[in-house]
Amino acid sequence: MVEFLNNWLLTILIFLPTAGAILVLFARDRDSVRWTALGTTIATFAASLLLFVTFKWDVGNGYGYLEGTGGVVQMVQRASWIKSFNIEYLVGIDGLSFPLVLLSTFICLLACIASWNIQKMTKGYMALFLFLETGILGTFLSLDFFLFYVFFELSLLPMYFLIGIWGGPRKEYAAIKFFLYTLVGSIGLLIVLIGTYLFTRNITGIADVAGGTFDLIKLARPDVQKALGTAGLVGGVAKTFFLLSMLAFLIKVPSVPLHTWLPDAHVEAPTPISMILAAILLKMGGYGIFRIAYPVFPQAAMSLWLLVGIIGVVSIIYGALCAMAQRDFKRLVAYSSVSHMGFVVLGAAMMTPAAVNGALFMMVSHGIISAMMFFVVGIIYDRAHHRELSRFGGLASTMPVYTGFSTVAFFANLGLPGLCGFIGEVMVLLGSFQAAKSDSLLMLGGPGRHTAIMTLAVVACFGVILTAGYMLWTIQRVYFGPQRPEYKSFPEVTQREILVLTPLTVMAILLGILPALFFFVFTDHTVKAWYGLLARLAQTYAGL
Amino acid sequence: MNTLPVAIGLPYVPDWGQLRAFAPELWLIAAIVAVLLTPFFVKKPNAACGWVALVGLLAALVSVFVVGVDGTGEHFRGLMVADPVSVFWKGLLLMFVIGIVLMWFSTTAPTMHQGDGPEFFTLLLGATLGMSLMASTSNLLMLVIAVELASLPSYVLAGFRKTHLAGAEASLKYILFGAATSSIMVYGLSMLYGLYGTLQIDGPGGLAQQIATSGGSALLWMAIFSLIVGLGFKISAVPFHFWCPDVFEGASIEVSAFLSVASKGAGLVLLMRVMMSFASAQAYESTPLLNHLAVLLGVLGAITATVGNTAAFVQRNIKRLLAYSSIAHAGYMLCIVSLLVRGPAVKADLDLASTAAQVVLFYLAVYLFMNLGAFTVAGLIERETGTERIADYAGMGRRSPLMAFCLSACLFSLVGLPPFAGFVAKVNVFWALMQNGSWWWWLVGVIGVNTVLSLYYYVRVIKVMYLDDSSSAPIWPHPLGAGVAVVCAAILVFMLIAFGPINRLAGHYSHFYGVDQTTFTAEFSSSQPPP
Repeated sequence: MVEFLNNWLLTILIFLPTAGAILVLFARDRDSVRWTALGTTIATFAASLLLFVTFKWDVGNGYGYLEGTGGVVQMVQRASWIKSFNIEYLVGIDGLSFPLVLLSTFICLLACIASWNIQKMTKGYMALFLFLETGILGTFLSLDFFLFYVFFELSLLPMYFLIGIWGGPRKEYAAIKFFLYTLVGSIGLLIVLIGTYLFTRNITGIADVAGGTFDLIKLARPDVQKALGTAGLVGGVAKTFFLLSMLAFLIKVPSVPLHTWLPDAHVEAPTPISMILAAILLKMGGYGIFRIAYPVFPQAAMSLWLLVGIIGVVSIIYGALCAMAQRDFKRLVAYSSVSHMGFVVLGAAMMTPAAVNGALFMMVSHGIISAMMFFVVGIIYDRAHHRELSRFGGLASTMPVYTGFSTVAFFANLGLPGLCGFIGEVMVLLGSFQAAKSDSLLMLGGPGRHTAIMTLAVVACFGVILTAGYMLWTIQRVYFGPQRPEYKSFPEVTQREILVLTPLTVMAILLGILPALFFFVFTDHTVKAWYGLLARLAQTYAGL
Repeated sequence: MNTLPVAIGLPYVPDWGQLRAFAPELWLIAAIVAVLLTPFFVKKPNAACGWVALVGLLAALVSVFVVGVDGTGEHFRGLMVADPVSVFWKGLLLMFVIGIVLMWFSTTAPTMHQGDGPEFFTLLLGATLGMSLMASTSNLLMLVIAVELASLPSYVLAGFRKTHLAGAEASLKYILFGAATSSIMVYGLSMLYGLYGTLQIDGPGGLAQQIATSGGSALLWMAIFSLIVGLGFKISAVPFHFWCPDVFEGASIEVSAFLSVASKGAGLVLLMRVMMSFASAQAYESTPLLNHLAVLLGVLGAITATVGNTAAFVQRNIKRLLAYSSIAHAGYMLCIVSLLVRGPAVKADLDLASTAAQVVLFYLAVYLFMNLGAFTVAGLIERETGTERIADYAGMGRRSPLMAFCLSACLFSLVGLPPFAGFVAKVNVFWALMQNGSWWWWLVGVIGVNTVLSLYYYVRVIKVMYLDDSSSAPIWPHPLGAGVAVVCAAILVFMLIAFGPINRLAGHYSHFYGVDQTTFTAEFSSSQPPP
């Protein structure tokens, strides 16, 4: 049984939602559509829980990233797909993808419950929704660059329709903007993908990459990296490829100045889709940075760290300032996403184990918090039919339970200790300060980097304060203050809404008080191996 | 080598082997005769002619499969060649025309004036014959005949809707453009004959070899330019593309679809053959002629793609939009053709040139289904609602979910997005260009930007279908046409999954006869997959 799961569980996870989508298309009425979709998401979530049985968190010697024996990647299933290009169907899981996979199935399940009140073309909605889940899981689980790209793109099409058909008043603009922005990045990534492959074709002397490879495990291996360097993937070429792939991922994350699609997409998207967009789709960008951009182009990553770091810090500060200036509740949450995802980018740039662990944690905690925040906004929008912050006030007295849930979400978002938002920010900041120590990877480049690293870290700290500022101000404006007569008759949260909010709240608290048990135990080995790999690659390139 | 390939006075009797290699063409000719005879036996001949044409096309397609590459070689005293590329193209073309006939049954057939069928199918099959001959010529005389045989019926087909004013205008425009460009081409080809005294392109003493030994001259360049003008018209390369949108708009939908793939494909295959001969005769060395030719074709391709994509932005009519889209795709393929005459020579040149041919053939195969599907849906919708305006597609996602889905699949594939085969076709293009490096990187950039541009106007159609709503009634498309559209969409997904085998197939058939014979036979007889 375990043997079977080891081989097939990931494939089942990826394609289970597709099967559900096909079932949904044949469902008769609205209720059976909903229940089929819900059943599928529950089944997918249950299947992902089986990962706890098979996933070995303690493998890997903390040194060899992704290598066959002693590596952290497991449950690998591979089959040749396109022989002439050595493209494989290759899926596998490690500490980078494990939390994100669980997050995806979890959020998709909750978003499916949150979609219960979608009335328009329910069948199409649910089919696209499940199709999207396949794209998401495929992106997180594929270890072949080409396959990754296919899934990465695959998630675009359903998202376009989900925003475009079921969105708000400016849905068309938002949907096409989302599509165009992402496609610009994707084309760059496509060029990187083919270019890297062409370089691997020139490698001689390594048997298992003969004829080129798209295998991300092999691409990150030190001997392959060295051979790639000899084949010409160094210097300007490597930097161009790194920047092009970062462009694709930073658009997805999104980072300032490539973030402008996000507020529009969020504001227009229906609540469950906003949840998925913020909680999972943005993470595809962050995941791509850790899975592809850094291990495949380590030398460029190490030389362009300052650029990435600045982008991260600017996103934190600028995103927070923008959030503070918003009048629309949902836009505020969207900009807060930009700000928080900046920590992920900063964590990547700093390349210390703590920072990377923090960035991974940040992705998961932000996934939970942002899903909760968007749902909270959705609840009030369903009742008030507007989202203007200045027109709210005094909701605490009419909807005390709702206010309770909201407050948890808000405090988690602003990083209150004991809730999950805190851990990620602290870990990233801690890791950033550690990067200024003399034994860190970044400091290999010379002692002059100390000041720059410290500056970035200190500036990033102010982001935390700004976040607290706009979050508290929002709580005050929306929930406290005098009760407004027009909101007096608002019904309290329904049972369905509680059903969505409770698991999110539980997770926000659990991750906040027991982060090690619920998170770091699964990622730490991989992150150490990831760091070990980069350190070794740094030596490889130093000797080149 | 004869100066005139057909010796006058001597009876020439082709043997069985030569005829066998051209069995598809013979079937087409038989079908044309049968179509012409049909009205004598059937009172209402339209549908009957359709069936006769269908049977003829099927027979021709079967004969393509039966004969395969057996007949590879020069035939009819060097007037024609049969080789893997021509076989592949004929297979594609015949499959496509079968699709066109099925499309005709489901779109135009009921409204076509009874009695017009024989003419229509004679013209259609005649043009098909010309287009399949275009892939098999290695002689200037035959080249002109094939191009004209493809063009003349097309002119009439473009204006076939006699009651439509736009159709007449389209036809006239098409004729004027075609006449001008083909006269330029014939003029240039006559110059070639004057310069080198032969009509043969390949072979010892052929044009390509003489050019290689004597080097370039101003006259030669004029001749090459005029050849590119003539073929550029068929491919609808900018600036010879002006006929394309008007003709597509004016002609009935199956004719537009036919021209969008068949005419362009035939032109591209012919262009590839000529360029390949030039490059092969110069041993793929980095000669100025080849370098300039490559740049010329590359720039032409880049401009064509950009103009096609930008002009498509403002289109309100689905047929015009697809016309500009087809111009853009011709541009992408031209970019690849520029690789055929790659200048800087390294060892694996023939591989490289063959790879370029393989990429174009694969692209054509994918392009065929994308366009057939898109045009079929447009035709079905036109038949049901009588409109070609994109704005009238509003609510199609609700009014006809299946058609909207098929059209979206084809359009996404035209953008080049997974899970549709247009994606791998584009990957192939990028791959081939990047493999060459040097200035081809610019083409990579141009195509990249163009892809993003194209997303906007393709998605605009999808937007109208799904995002805009209207109170119009649901429509029930003709089941045959709906079947064609669904099959096209399904094939597009299938071609992505089966990209490896199909690409390998294209690779197997990407060899030209007469191009570096020794390597050619070695390559083709070995069953190893191409790199």
